[in-house]
Amino acid sequence: MKTIKRATILCIFIARLSAVPALCEQPHPPASSPAAAIEVGMIQAGEISLPAEFQVALYENLVQELQKKGDFSQAYRDGDRNAAGASGLVVLHTKVTGFKQGSELKRDVTTVGGATSITIHCQFTDKEGRVLLERDITGKVKLIGDNLRATDDFAKKAATVAQETLSPDSSSSDPKKPGYKNAI
Amino acid sequence: MKFHRIILWSLLLSLGTFISVSPAQQPPPATPGSIEVVQVIGLPCVKQNTKGNLKVENGSLTFASPKNICEVPAASIQDVVTGADSQRVIGGTVGTVSRLAPYGGGTALSLLRSKVDIITIQYRDPNGGLHGAIFTMPVGKAESVKEALLAQGAHTSIPSQAQSTSDSPLQSEAMEQTN
Repeated sequence: MKTIKRATILCIFIARLSAVPALCEQPHPPASSPAAAIEVGMIQAGEISLPAEFQVALYENLVQELQKKGDFSQAYRDGDRNAAGASGLVVLHTKVTGFKQGSELKRDVTTVGGATSITIHCQFTDKEGRVLLERDITGKVKLIGDNLRATDDFAKKAATVAQETLSPDSSSSDPKKPGYKNAI
Repeated sequence: MKFHRIILWSLLLSLGTFISVSPAQQPPPATPGSIEVVQVIGLPCVKQNTKGNLKVENGSLTFASPKNICEVPAASIQDVVTGADSQRVIGGTVGTVSRLAPYGGGTALSLLRSKVDIITIQYRDPNGGLHGAIFTMPVGKAESVKEALLAQGAHTSIPSQAQSTSDSPLQSEAMEQTN
């Protein structure tokens, strides 16, 4: 009887020991250091035919979302001279890789068709141009709202990625969240 | 059956209440030379989707809403682009609520759409920071605003219709081919 008890305790002890490294193992942080400020570059349409209003709405929504989240001390605009003196600056470069302009009328009538989606390759770099993080983020409007609402959806997702991975308060990142595709 | 009718009538009445309330939020009457527009996004001094009057004079673009006045120097405008779109006649919260109307009433309301012109500008602030702003306005107004801005010193990546027609025929042919 005593032997069985001892064997059980030993087994539990061994099992606990083997579990310790797994418990200690934290999710690997992204290849980045906490950033204090972020500079948002103008959205580059590249070879995609993107209407000017979408380009501007993407940029403005992105700047507003980053300012609203408040995890960076400053969110600078493209070309802002004050960004040059900022320490721990992250620069966000964006390029449109996919764009499908839907129709609000079609969405209203069918409720299944006419979705608008914009996929943008986001590259976060440091001042020297070293890549810290790359993601493909998609903004969509599927049912309610005009087409420009897709730009708002993109901005919210991009700001969340920046907040979770690059801001000084970032503790963890979740690349499996919907709408994100880790390109690294 | 009666229940459905009651719902329909109450919905229509509530819609009527909303619509009768909405003129209180109208922008101030347009002064001569100004156009009634909606600032969709971009100007720092006003909220998104604010109605107001747009005017181009004395070397600047002025947007006057009931609460604020924003000025953008025309010389700081790097790009002016016009476009066209359509929007729901009944928009905003009322438009969203109206989708719930029974017997396909919401769908029928969404078919009521009006065409609008869009003007998009990109400009630099005194620190060199890039800003963008989008305005929607009645059809046929955007091109005149663009021409006025260009005359006051703004720049554009796409020449206006008046400019492109004044160009040589060879240039316009080349542009058509690229388009």
